[in-house]
Amino acid sequence: MPHLHIQNLTFTYPGSNIPALQDVNLTIRQGEYIALCGRSGSGKTTLLRHLKTVLTPHGTRTGQILFGDTPLELIPHNIQASKIGYVMQNPEDQIVTDKVWHELSFGLENIGFDRTAMRTRVAEMACYFGIQDWFHKDVSTLSGGQKQLLNLASVMAMQPEVLILDEPTSMLDPLAASDFLNTIRKINLELGTTIIITEHRLEDILHGADRVVVMEQGQVVVNDAPRAAGSALWQQKHPMFAAMPTPMQVFYRSGGQEDCPLTVREGRTWLNNLLPQGASIPSLPETPEEPSDEIALQLKELWFRYERDSSDVLRSASICVPTGSFHAIVGGNGAGKSTLLKAICGICKPYRGKVSVFGKSYGAHKAGELFRNCLAMLPQDPKSLFARDTVAEELQEVCKDDAQIAQMAALCKIDHLLNRHPYDLSGGEQQRTALAKVLLTNPRVLLLDEPTKGIDGFFKEILADILCKLKKQGATIVMVSHDVEFCAKYADRVSMFFDGQILATHTPRAFFGGNSFYTTSANRISRSIFRDAVTIDHLVQLVESNREAAQ
Amino acid sequence: MKTDGFSKLHPVTNFLFFLGVIGFGVVFQHPAYLAAGVVAAGIYYILLDGRKALKAIAAMLPLFLLVTVLNPLFNTRGANVLFSVFGRPYTLEALCYGAAVGGILVITLLWFGCYSRIMTEDKFTALFGQLAPSLSLLLVMVFRLVPNLIEKARQITGARHCIGLGGKQATKKEKLQNAMTVLMALTGWSLESGILTADSMRSRGYGTAKRSNFHLYRITRSDVLVLMFTGITAAVTLYSAFAGATGAKYTPTLSFAPVTPMLAAYCLYLLIPAIIHLKEVILCRIFISKI
Amino acid sequence: MKKSTLFTLLALFVLIPATLVLGKFLPGRSYYITCTLLVVYLLIPFFLAFEGKKPDARELVLIAIMCALAVASRWLFLWLPNFKPIYAIIILSGIVFGSQTGFLVGAVSAFASNFLFGQGPWTPWQMMAYGVCGCLAGLCYYKKSKLPRDPMSLGLFGFLSVLFVVCPLLDTSTVVTSLTVYTPASIASVYLAGLTVNLIQAVCTFVSLLLLSKPLLSKLQRILIKYGIDR
Repeated sequence: MPHLHIQNLTFTYPGSNIPALQDVNLTIRQGEYIALCGRSGSGKTTLLRHLKTVLTPHGTRTGQILFGDTPLELIPHNIQASKIGYVMQNPEDQIVTDKVWHELSFGLENIGFDRTAMRTRVAEMACYFGIQDWFHKDVSTLSGGQKQLLNLASVMAMQPEVLILDEPTSMLDPLAASDFLNTIRKINLELGTTIIITEHRLEDILHGADRVVVMEQGQVVVNDAPRAAGSALWQQKHPMFAAMPTPMQVFYRSGGQEDCPLTVREGRTWLNNLLPQGASIPSLPETPEEPSDEIALQLKELWFRYERDSSDVLRSASICVPTGSFHAIVGGNGAGKSTLLKAICGICKPYRGKVSVFGKSYGAHKAGELFRNCLAMLPQDPKSLFARDTVAEELQEVCKDDAQIAQMAALCKIDHLLNRHPYDLSGGEQQRTALAKVLLTNPRVLLLDEPTKGIDGFFKEILADILCKLKKQGATIVMVSHDVEFCAKYADRVSMFFDGQILATHTPRAFFGGNSFYTTSANRISRSIFRDAVTIDHLVQLVESNREAAQ
Repeated sequence: MKTDGFSKLHPVTNFLFFLGVIGFGVVFQHPAYLAAGVVAAGIYYILLDGRKALKAIAAMLPLFLLVTVLNPLFNTRGANVLFSVFGRPYTLEALCYGAAVGGILVITLLWFGCYSRIMTEDKFTALFGQLAPSLSLLLVMVFRLVPNLIEKARQITGARHCIGLGGKQATKKEKLQNAMTVLMALTGWSLESGILTADSMRSRGYGTAKRSNFHLYRITRSDVLVLMFTGITAAVTLYSAFAGATGAKYTPTLSFAPVTPMLAAYCLYLLIPAIIHLKEVILCRIFISKI
Repeated sequence: MKKSTLFTLLALFVLIPATLVLGKFLPGRSYYITCTLLVVYLLIPFFLAFEGKKPDARELVLIAIMCALAVASRWLFLWLPNFKPIYAIIILSGIVFGSQTGFLVGAVSAFASNFLFGQGPWTPWQMMAYGVCGCLAGLCYYKKSKLPRDPMSLGLFGFLSVLFVVCPLLDTSTVVTSLTVYTPASIASVYLAGLTVNLIQAVCTFVSLLLLSKPLLSKLQRILIKYGIDR
């Protein structure tokens, strides 16, 4: 039985000529798990918001949406509120009240539940989602992952039939994200709730999804089971193919036919069958590394704690970054990676140890000189740099020279956005605006705090492109990130940060090639056969050269 | 925070107690009642806050002395002239009256100190959630936003620091300007994210039906007992007040109503939270020793 | 008839006289209770009006944000003793949202900040004084008002209203709580003693409004337009 039926939906935002949704037809059956994907601006969010009347944007629209067999807009808002759950991207902004227990009951209060029934329902939710331990806490003390789980739980407390999730994990670290997605899967399997989800991390959801719907410019271009959808994208040479799971990409790019693997497990089986004798060429040729002799940034045994009697966050952290290199620091969540960057910038003052930038210790730089033409940091949330009303004004706050601003805007690909309000931009554009603002201080050492958080694959590539250009101009880049794939692909050196210290520093291939858990999917698939294939490109290249060697 | 038995009770019980105790506290001028008030409020404040309470009490002393000493300067009535200041008599009675008003001030401050510790935000909103649903939701939202905004402000300050805006060695004027820019940025950020909060509220059905109100507190048997006890002692005290037992006149001559046994009711009333606190501490000791 | 109007009438003709009469009969220093009750009667119509309006989600969120900003702004100026932009934010809320909401923002921010810094006998007075601050700004500047809105005149407005309205109202609570005898001299001394602090607050408000009014008003205006809140 169709649960949601979208018929010929076309929608145009006021003041725009191009429809944001064009003739969308989609039938979603009860209990289905639908993964909706598309690059940012393809109309995913617009479509999702149409599935709930109170969130539907203003504009002209034709076509209709049936919920069951009633047009959606005829269903009263309070019924919609409980039957259709909606979880948004930003965990922080969705929370309304100050206590966890109150947030859980917020929706129920709105539809006028009586207190005894609420008490049971809230208790039930807290148990199902494992919230008991932080049930009485203030929401401001929760981690990002906990906040998003709370948002989910408070929506689920209303017992929705359909659960809509708009990029729910893009602000979470990988561990919290996969926990969250597992919970979604569990809800789908155990409660039979219909799930419609948009997500960057297709790798984590595709194997559980019943269908993949790909959107482009407001139209549905692919609507099929995951494997078939992958094959269709490959045949169409569609750019969304680059967002598909690693095993699928490797499979098609190295000439696979028929059914593709979806998970690492299937990928391994496929690769083992492909090369039953093992690989004759197990490794790519070494690319010689020639680090510069000059040292841009050096940390010597930094110790730091936030409060006098709290525990140490940095425990003798040392690192040495040569000029002109792209250095990535990876490590678990809450390990103190961001604190390390803050210590470099002087936001946190280490109580022992020394930071030196270009051979001069932190204190030896004159006031104001350090952050001009020397050191700068891109914060985790680009919004923390926005204070003005247009992008151009933002940039002028740092630099008065129009020529330089124009040049930087071009480099960061925001030259067409200069007159826009920073908050009208998409996540990726906001981030590039913040980057341009940071770069206008002409830093020779650029620090990046989780630059790939919350942006999709295409924006990541643009970012990588900008970073490569900067590197060519001689800048040194130090990045803290959870994004293993991004680090493997673009960094020159990778360090592991654990327990307040920097443990090992290697090239990405040696680093991820040596790890078996904290590594990329490409390496997980191939580690029994190849020695250090850590990116999709490496893996495809190795499969092909082995195939050639066999012939 | 140490566990406090009284704060475990229902907000209604807590609130009614404080309403009475502060109401009586500001009205009664009889020295015996004043003394009882100061001692009881002081004991409970110290039980709640320990060392910090002692410091706070020490800080109230100068205030008390100030009010006491200043009163005779404005108020010259009284039979016993101690000496004269600027040609005006400085009388014993006025000094005593000053002490009484100082005492009242100290009592109110002490009880309000306890009140702030017991009636936390969630208790207050639980209490008034039914009566004023929109207001108490507004209050809850403000409490959720304040730490959130401070965290955002911290991020903004840090981010700007790292691109050389608002450095630590800036002049006062530059610092002021930078702080204003941070406030601007904070306003922009919070307003924009507020729209998402509103969406999240509407998508969870805000405004679609008459809101009910949820909280975790339940009226228990001990609540009923404490409420009854509070009611009886308060009624007796009120009766005695109207019967004139709390009457006190300071100027022109000191004259106090004789102390009646009904003072005991007032004392019992004042000591309710302290007794519950101590009972809880002792019970805890006993229970824990069994583990 | 609206609940708030009903209550205002009730307060005027029944509650206030009743309280005054009862105050006469109560033994001891009951005038603190009498005065506080009068202040509370002043607060209630505004609260009732807000309840009766059933504010929609966006409006509620905006009001909550303004209150939270007023409370949290103090954190940004911890390094400058005595500097609080709280009045400036309340005044701006009054200008943008009108006198009723301005009053509410003032009263709620006073109440909420007292949860952080400690409640006291001054709480109702502070709520009333801060509320009047926002209300006054709304009365003078909301919507069709022709008063000039440049930062300088807004700053002056803030200076005057804080120095001559808000701070004296706050001092009145001191008069009621800690004065022992009511002679013109003793009352004047309380107001004079507060003068320096009040002057500092007024100057802070002037400076904050001078620097903040333009950007904050434009940010608020943008939100109102972007999200179609009917103003």
